[in-house]
This record gives sequence, C-alpha cells and structure tokens, in this order.
Amino acid sequence: MMIRGGRSLVSSPPVFSNDANKLLVCTSNTVSVFSTATGLQISSLEGHTALVTSVLVVPPSSPAAKVLCYCWTASLDGTIRYWDFSVPELMKTIDIRVPIFSMVIPSFLDVPAEDKGKHRNLFAYVSTIDTKETQDKSKASRRQIRKCNLSKSCLVGRLILGETKKPEVLTVSPSGKFFGICNKCKLHIWKVPDQGSEHAAVRKITLHHTKKITVITFHPTQRIIASGDVTGRILTWRGFGNRAFSGDNGVDNQKLINVQEDKPGVRDIDDADLCSTWHWHSAEVNVLSFSLDGAYLYSGGKEGVLVVWQIDTGKKKFLPRIGSPLLYFIDSPDPTLSSISCADNQIHLLKMPSMGILKTISGIKAPCCYPEMYEGLGNGIAFDQTAGLVALRTENYCIQFYSLFDDRGISEVQVCERNHQPGDDVTVIVTAVALSVDGSLMSTSEVKLAEEGIGGLVCLKFWQAGSQNKEFSLSTIVYEPHRDASISAVTFHPSGNMVVSSSFGGDFKVWRCNNDSLQSDQMRQTFSWTCHAVGSYKKKPMTAAAFSADGSVLAVAAETLITLWNPYKNVLLAVLGETLTPIVNLSFIGKSDNLVAASCGSNPQLSVWSMSKLSLSWSYKLRIEAVASAVDLSSFAALVLLPESSNETTFKGRDGVILLYNATDPVPTAVWSVRKAKGGALGFLQVNPSFVEEISIDGKTPEVLLAYMNGDHEYVVFDPFCKDAKEVNMSQKVSHSALEVKGLGGQYGYVSIYGELPEFDKKRPETPCVPSFPSERPWETIFSGSSHSLPPLTKLCSSFLESLLEKRTVTVE
Amino acid sequence: MAEIRAEEQTSTISKTFLIKPKLKSKPRTLPQTPESKYWSSFKSTQIPNLVSSIYSLSFSPSPPHPFAAAYSATVSLFSPLSLSDGDVSPSSTISFSDVVSSLSFRSDGLLLAASDLSGLIQVFDVKTRTPLRRLRSHTRPVRFIKYPVVDKLHLLSGGDDAVVKLWDVAGESVVLDLLGHKDYVRCGDCSPVSSDLFVTGSYDHTVKVWDVRVDNSKSVLEVNHGKPVEDVIYLPSGGLIATAGGNSVKIWDLIGGGRMIHSMDSHNKTVTSICVGRTRKENCGDEYMEDRILSVGLDGYMKVFDYGNMKVTHSMRFPAPLMSVSFSPDCRTRVIGTSNGIIFAGRRKGKENVESGGRRNILGFESISEPEVLRPRYFRYFHRGQSEKPAEGDYLVMRNKKIKLAEHDKLLKKFRHKDALVSVLNKKNRENVIAVMEELVTRKKLLKCVSNLDIDELGLLLMFLSKNATMPRYSSLLMGLTKKVIEMRAEDIQNSDALKGHIRNLKRSIEEELRIQHSLQEIQGIISPLLRITGRR
Repeated sequence: MMIRGGRSLVSSPPVFSNDANKLLVCTSNTVSVFSTATGLQISSLEGHTALVTSVLVVPPSSPAAKVLCYCWTASLDGTIRYWDFSVPELMKTIDIRVPIFSMVIPSFLDVPAEDKGKHRNLFAYVSTIDTKETQDKSKASRRQIRKCNLSKSCLVGRLILGETKKPEVLTVSPSGKFFGICNKCKLHIWKVPDQGSEHAAVRKITLHHTKKITVITFHPTQRIIASGDVTGRILTWRGFGNRAFSGDNGVDNQKLINVQEDKPGVRDIDDADLCSTWHWHSAEVNVLSFSLDGAYLYSGGKEGVLVVWQIDTGKKKFLPRIGSPLLYFIDSPDPTLSSISCADNQIHLLKMPSMGILKTISGIKAPCCYPEMYEGLGNGIAFDQTAGLVALRTENYCIQFYSLFDDRGISEVQVCERNHQPGDDVTVIVTAVALSVDGSLMSTSEVKLAEEGIGGLVCLKFWQAGSQNKEFSLSTIVYEPHRDASISAVTFHPSGNMVVSSSFGGDFKVWRCNNDSLQSDQMRQTFSWTCHAVGSYKKKPMTAAAFSADGSVLAVAAETLITLWNPYKNVLLAVLGETLTPIVNLSFIGKSDNLVAASCGSNPQLSVWSMSKLSLSWSYKLRIEAVASAVDLSSFAALVLLPESSNETTFKGRDGVILLYNATDPVPTAVWSVRKAKGGALGFLQVNPSFVEEISIDGKTPEVLLAYMNGDHEYVVFDPFCKDAKEVNMSQKVSHSALEVKGLGGQYGYVSIYGELPEFDKKRPETPCVPSFPSERPWETIFSGSSHSLPPLTKLCSSFLESLLEKRTVTVE
Repeated sequence: MAEIRAEEQTSTISKTFLIKPKLKSKPRTLPQTPESKYWSSFKSTQIPNLVSSIYSLSFSPSPPHPFAAAYSATVSLFSPLSLSDGDVSPSSTISFSDVVSSLSFRSDGLLLAASDLSGLIQVFDVKTRTPLRRLRSHTRPVRFIKYPVVDKLHLLSGGDDAVVKLWDVAGESVVLDLLGHKDYVRCGDCSPVSSDLFVTGSYDHTVKVWDVRVDNSKSVLEVNHGKPVEDVIYLPSGGLIATAGGNSVKIWDLIGGGRMIHSMDSHNKTVTSICVGRTRKENCGDEYMEDRILSVGLDGYMKVFDYGNMKVTHSMRFPAPLMSVSFSPDCRTRVIGTSNGIIFAGRRKGKENVESGGRRNILGFESISEPEVLRPRYFRYFHRGQSEKPAEGDYLVMRNKKIKLAEHDKLLKKFRHKDALVSVLNKKNRENVIAVMEELVTRKKLLKCVSNLDIDELGLLLMFLSKNATMPRYSSLLMGLTKKVIEMRAEDIQNSDALKGHIRNLKRSIEEELRIQHSLQEIQGIISPLLRITGRR
C-alpha cells in the first residue's frame, strides 16, 4: 500500500553478476537488481533492516557455474545474508550483532572449486564498530577490522586485525591474497592466510604517505598497489610486502636482498620496492581501479572526469564532463562493460574500450545547495498529479522528471544551456518550477547572478511537453519579466492557459497562452505566452501566489497581506490581512472556500482563511516547510518542522510531522512524524489506474495519494485517509527504523496523537472568526443614540477620527 | 528497406552548448498564413501614366493571356510576359472616339469587343487591331459588354438606357432586347455552365437573371442588393453569383431561389469591381487550387474573400482608389486599375503550365506511376553501392548534425576568455558580443578580461561601448560595464589619444540619450494626467 523510493543508488559500490547481465546496487535497506541491457530494475532483495553496506557476488568456480547467482550482503543491522538473486530468495542469515560498514570475502576469489563433501571454511573480513567496549575505551578507536567465519556463522573470537577512528572501506586484491584499508596518511595491508584455519596469523604491513589517502586498489596480477590522496595525487607502490609477506618463499627472499638498497620514492622503512606518483586530478581522488589485464588504471574524482592511465608509460585518456563527482568504478566480468557511479545518484554503464555511455540507471537527484539569498525560494519541487511524477531541479541546470510509482528517472529537461562542472561557483540558479495540472506545460524561472553588479539576468521560461515521455521543448522565454527583481513564485491556472508569476519587486504578472497552430504541420501546436495583466498592491513585494480550484480567483500574498484578484479582468476583489511575518506559501484548499497560508520568519504561522467570510478561520504557530492541497478534496496536508527542544524526547530523532487537516476543522485528522523534513515537499497525487492493485486495500481504491519527499529526496507515497492499514503497516516500520536513515519513520493513528498535540503545537487559541474588515461606515454609528448618553465630544472626536483613518487603510487604490 | 549504418548509438552526458545571443521577440502579429504568402508572391509592377481612370481590364482566355486595359478613349494590350522583364509599355494600342467603358475577349481570345460612352460597340481582331464589326443600337452610353463563356456568336451588352441587349455579332443585329431594369445597367456576367443564362446588375439596386429561352423576355429571377450594383459575377460553379455595390459584396444562391448566403462588409468605401481569383492550397500533402473572390474598392483595398469559409483571407492596400480588377486564367497575373491612371500588375513566378497541370489533377486523368521499391528478393538489392541514393519509402537514419563552433566558442572552450572577447569584438556582430559578455559574466571573468586588454583591444571595446551602450536592449549590461571599464582603465585612457577619442564619442552618445530621456519624460508628464483621468471613468 505504501510506495517508497528515491533511495540513493550510490551509498556503496554496486557489483555485476557473473554473466554481466545484472547489476546489484545497494539501495538503503534493499539490494536492487538492475538489468544492464535495459537499465531497469528487475527485482530487489529485501530483508535487511538497515542500510546495506556491501554486496558481493560469489564468483563462478567453473565456466559452467557462471549462471549461478549467489551473493553475500552485509548491513548496518549486524547481519550478513546469503541470497540467490535470480529468484530472489534469502538462503542464509548470519547475525554478528555489530553493524558492518564494509565486508570483503577474499578466499572465494582464489580457492578452487569446493570439493564435494568436504566443507571448507569461508572467511569474511568485516569493518565494524565494537559495541562492547564503549565504556572503557575512547570513542576514537572503536572501529575494528575483524574476521568472520561465514561457514560457522560467527565472528572469529578475539581476533581484531586493526582499529581505526572512522569506518574504513576494505579493499581486496583481485587475486584474493591481500586486502587493505586506508587510514588517514597510512595504508594497512594484510595478507590473507592460505590455510582455512580460524586463528592463522594474519600478517600486516603499513605504507606511509604525507597526505590523507582516500582510496586504494590492488593490481590484478602483480604486487602493485595504487592509492589516491586528497590532493589528487596517485601513488603506486610496486613490490609491496616483499619482506613481510614472503617468509615462506625462499626464492623471493634472495631476490629481495639485492634490491633492498635502492627504493626510490619509498618512505622510511616501508616494505615496498618503488613508489611513483602521478598527478593530474586537481581535487581528491575517489575512484581507482586497475583494468582486468592490469595494463590500465582508471581514476576519477571530484571533477567528474574519468582518467585512464597506461601503467607502463603514464599516458592518459579521458572521459570528460561527466558533470558530477565520481564515486565508484566497477569492472564487469564482460570486458566490454563497466559502470561508474556518480554523486548525483546516477550509474552509467560504459561500453568499455571506447568509454561511451550505453545506459544510465537514473536515481533521483540529490537536492542542490545554493547561495544563501536563494535558499528560501521554495525547494524547487513540483508534482505532476495525474502522471505521478515529480519535477526536481538538479545541479546541472536541469529539471529531472522522476516517476514516483516506478521509482526511476523519466527524463531531464535542460533549462539553461550550460554544462555543470562540480566545484564551479554557482552563477546560474533555477529558482522555481511549476507544472500545469495536466502536466503538459511547465514554467521555470532562473537567475543569472551578476558579476560585481554587471549583467545579472532573470529569465522566465515556458515549456510544452512533446507527444511522449515528458520531453519538454521551450516555447517562450521572457527576459527580465519583472525588471531585475527575482521571481518569488510561479503558478499555473487550473485550465493551464494562464500563469501568474509574482516577484519581490512588488508586482505580479499574469501570462496568457496564445495557441497558434501552424497550418503547414497541424500535428504540432506551438504556444506562445504573452503578458496579459500586471498588478501590484502598495508596492509591496509579492511573495506567493495561488489560483482557486475553478480558476476564478487569484490570491497573491503581498508580504503579510493576501490580495484576491480576478485573473481575467485584473480587478482587485478583496484584501485579507494580516499575518505577523511574510507569507511564503499560499494554497486554495480544493473544493472548499478556504485558503491556507504559511508564513515563515521569527513568527511562523499556519493560517486558514475563509473566502466566504473574508476572515481568518484558525491559525497555528508552526514552522511550515510545505503545504499541499488536493484538487477535489476539502483537506490539506502541511509539513511542519518541529522546534529543536521537543525533538529529542517525543520523536526519537524525527524532526518533522505531516499534519492532515480538514479545512474547517483546526484539529488535524491524521499525523505522521518524519525524518529530515527540512527541505522536504508534499504533494497530492491522483490515483493512477495502472497502480490500483498495488495501492488498494481489500479492493478499496484510495481517492488520492499523498507523496512526501524528505530533504534527501527519498519519498513515500501513501493513502492519507486509510486508517487501519496504516496502523499495521507502520508498527513494523517503527520497530525497524531505530537506526536507519530512512525518510519516514512512524505513523500513528488519530487517537494516539490527540493527546500528543499540545506538546509540540503551541496552539494559540485564536477566536475562530476574526473579521478583518470593520463595518462599512463606523463613523455613522458612533454618534447614533441619544445625546445625553453619548460620551463627551472631546473623547468622541478622537474615536471618530480614528474610525475615518481605519477606513482609509482598508480601502485600496 | 533502408541501409542502416551500424553506428555506435552511445550517448554522452555532456553536450556542447553554443554561446547564443538572446532571442528577439517576435512581432505580435500573427505569422503570415500560406494564403497571404501566396497573394504577396505576386511581384508588383506599376504601369503608370495612363492619363485617366482605368474603367475595365480583361484577360485573354488564350495563353499567354495578354490583357487589355481601357482608359480614356484608348484600349491598350499588354503582354504578361513583359511584366516579368520589367517592360511595361503596351504591346499595342487602339484608339477610340469616345471614352471606352468596357472590354471583353471572345472565348478563343481572337476577338476583343469594346464599348464606349457614345453607345457604340466595336469588335476588333486582336492581332491586326482592325474593327471587324460595329454594333450600334444603344441610345445611351454602353456600360458593359460580355462575351458568353463558350458561345462565340453572341454578345451581351447593357447601358444607361436601362436595356440589356443580346447581339448576333456576325450579323450586327440585336437578337433580344431585355427590358426590366429601371435604372442604368452597369454590369453583367454570363453563366459559366450554360450559354443561355446571364445576369445583369443595375443602379436600381437589383440584379436580374435572364434566360434567353424564356419567350416574354422577362427576367427569371431578381435579387435586391440594397445598393446600386457596381459589379456582378458568376462564381465558377454557376450556381452562385457575387454582387458588389455600396461597401458590401454579397453572395447569392441562384439555385436556391436567390437567397443571400453572405454579405462581406469589410470595405470602407464603394466596391467597384470584383473578379474570381484562385489560390493554391495545400492539404495533407497534395496541392490544389481554390477559388476566391477578389474585390477592389474606392478605399484602395484589395480583399481576397474565401467564400467557402466566408472569411477574408488577405487584404492589400494600394495608394489610390481602385476601379477595376482582373485575374488571369493561368493564375499568374492579377491586375488592378486605379482611378488616377496607374495599373498595378502583379505577376507570380512559376511554371508556365500551372493551369494545365492544375486541370489535369482536378480531372484525375493522370496515371500515378508506382514507385519502384527494391526488395531483398531482387538481385539488384544486394548490388547497391555506397553511392546509392535513398528511395522514397526508405527510412533514413540521420547522422547527428555537427555543431559548428564559432571562433569565440572555441576560445571559450579553452578558457581563453580575453581572446574570445577580442575575437568577437572584431567580428562586429553586436548580438554575439553581448552573448559572449554575458557568458563571461556567468563565469565571473568579464572584469578580469577588461583588465587584461591591451590598448588596441581596449579601443575596440570602447568603440563597441560608445556605439551600443545607450541601446535600451543592452544598456542594463553595457552601462555598468562602461562605468567599470572607465574606472579600471582610467590611466591607460589618459595616456592614449585614440582612447580619448572613443571616450568623447561615448560621452556624446550618452548626452544624446539623456536628451531623449528628458524629452520622453516631458511627454510622459503630459500624458500621465490624461491617462489617470481616463482610468478614473
């Protein structure tokens, strides 16, 4: 009944299946299996209750076994699980009760096929937190590297290979003989003992460097290790561990003595023959990987360029302008296929020697950070109610369309014709995105920042969808729509042929769509948008705008006041006032004649205004992050940020709640508490007929769905009006979400929250109906009554003049 | 089947974006419709100095469709071919004793009939210009004559004596005297489908339909236009007529008993003449001709009226009151006569036999040849070479268009910002300069570039600024930049005379702009109270 998605695909390195047809990607609590041919998700392995940190595919012992699909996964919930991911089916669970940050299993890489009957021990090495010794030891050295016997399902007791301050990622050599970690300026390398005994001594060497090392990798055949550091240098040590690891090999020892005198580039007493340095990257190196034959080294980092080094000559080849920092580079068993994972939640499948991109597995893009003055401009998230899509602005000046039901990226629209380079100064910002109700039209606004006061530019763009797949094409650009003032809000009229844009410069404009279809090709309609009307109210900055459900009323917030207009004739109908701080969000509540306004600042407020009485119905002092109202319902949902103080005790780390209100009733009908509400968004979605089976409970189809997206763009779609199903479903979730990084935590029924409310809602008991308009002519009534009962004239005079003054503030030019 | 190239269909993440200038706003008027494009494609030529008002224009039905114009006591023949060459002198001229009022070619184009205000009708041989017959019976000026569409023997005429006469041309005798009109008969037309039917229009506001087969020589149908009728024509179907009188053109259904279908009232003054024109229409790929009514009026407008959709599809203004209009049967020439002795002739480029081709298509006699398609079972399919051209049914796999990079684009790609700015300043394309400057602003490199310019390059920049800084489109960027440039490079400017000259120019243009702004403000001061007053109402 609940649809979750928007999870990060790049939290840990993905892995290819043995036939290279599948890619296993860790997606928070689950492992998703993608097809490399289509880039679509096939299945998911569900069972872990916390973030999955490692996934390892069991390599085939013989060519015939290539079709076998077994994998090990390790998670922060302290379990290691063994799966058959072709079915998918959980085969085995090992609970070691300590969170695992990284796991490697070196032995199955070099061991020949298991002999029948004789069961060998399979060892894994894991990077964990030691939970037992928290009291006596300092926090700094709690992270440990330990050995785990997977065959016997237990940790090898007391064997601690090393301790680090931070959880480090274990790297294993392709031959399976070594594994290592980088720990600040040092590299630790262990040699995997040959015998499968539990307590075999694991020998270790340490290599030193002057900078913090970020990533290491092993050469597939030779004793070469490469590491990248934070300054962008790549160091290659050749012949590491010749002294320490070759005790059992006499021939090597002899050779070693000869070369011992001359070790260029190697620091102090480090156990290596030669250390050479390459420097191309300008920022830290995140990706290092040797090619399968060991002739090339792939490296990448923050600049988003994949560099291929020919190891013998040091010559370079580039795959430039990937546009996002690289995180992982994974080779597949198929030499023509590999993958790179980027920080913008995309996994690109590369066709190998040419390094062209075959397919992209597109996750939801992360929110982008902007200079402070543009922080408050809404979060740039628009929901397409009919198609169940969400439009998000991304760092590379695009709008990404993400399907909430399918959990995959649909398309991207390049709003500004620029390439994004990670690390560049932000000079162009997409400030707002709005979609029409049917999703066929889009409007975006962007700001080009000025350089020392020269050449700033605000642009408003109108887009129209193509015939399929949300491919938007530009129909109109308006340069400087409100002179040089930036746009605060863009909203579509319900009919889609009108847009209002409000600006901080003190005016709003109504744009109208002229639909001129050319006779030559009747299939293509072209829309052009022209300014229909301009309005302003006392030169106040216009901070938000909304159309009523039937489109007959336009509400524009002029800082603390709400002005109501007829959008067709551009006539001011009424003024509602006023809130304490500027309104940032306005929304009409579906069918009902109510308007909800959210204001932020030092005195945040959620207020509901009645259109029939032109007065405030009720209000709360709440910090509102987002408000959503469905088109054809009389209720709305508000995402509330909890104050810091109440955070710890009541809500177990959750920093926000979603309140569902009926427009007329100040008591919320439902409450859900959520995590990472800052920067979150809410939207009502219409029920897509193709998903009815998934969503409906006992044959009942919900009316609408509510989508909540948190600050990390993880989202959940659920039926806000379904009570009993929610209880069952959520009680599970609550128990699981003890340590998880998940978006939505728990959800409680109406009765349970009813007692809770006063704790976080400093509910101001306001009079339910405060008319904001004084009676039409107060001065007429002041003097009515018999003369002897009137107060003295001196007193009356001041109140009479006051009443006149009051009148003037209300009447509007 | 197409030959599909096995190209690598790999995509890249990064795209190459050119530095594009800002788009210019399109005019608010609607784009030209294909129809108005068609009517504008008649390349206009003036035939001036024809002394007086052009009463009548007529095209010969035989190719190359020369046309005759009647003005004063002269009839001139013009060849349409000469119009394309720009030679506008008449090919031949016939002189009369009185003012010529009307002209008509016989259907084979060999004879031309002309009437004059003395009441005489003469028939000429077009080639030799000798009068062959003189028809005299009208007692008052003759206002119109018309040869029937197919009939070569008879002639229709009408005049100020309110009598319509049908002539036997060969015998110079009147066959029928049709009485019924109560005022001057000014116009008439013969049915395109029957040689027995014709209409006449008169100043008594009525249009009468005559049938020669009716014995009592009374009109078979009568419609009232409501205004003195200036012109009447049969529409090509033969069932409809269009009448012009007053400011309106009205369309009548004769078969339906003289019912008015539509009245077109878009002229502002009296409509003097109408004729049938044809326009090319495209629908779903195939081309065909559609009929239109061309009307001209004393207001100087020619209007094209689509009587299928009852819509004016094109309108064209001429600098004089218009008296007559005619459209050639091959659809390539349209001529308009004015009241001050100028003929506006328009000729369209095109194949010589548009008309015949059009006919054939309408009749559908043309056999459609089957396109030959190569199929894998043919031997020849496997023998196609690299130079094989795609056949009509093939699906083309387009190769991605190569993006052409300008020099400044290349330099910007290499981060040579100053060089890019200098290169685009040298190119003298204003839009591009602005676009490059804006790109530099977004890269936060514009001021750095300015400080790096050497003296010559600075001169280039100052020259550009002095020319364009006051343009309203760019001033928001350029005024700020100008200030900064002068601030940053004050010393260099002081040391160089050439730069000082540019600064002087800049100063001059800014002073001029200030003057303009000042006067604009004055005007605004005058207008704004007026606007406020009108707004109050």
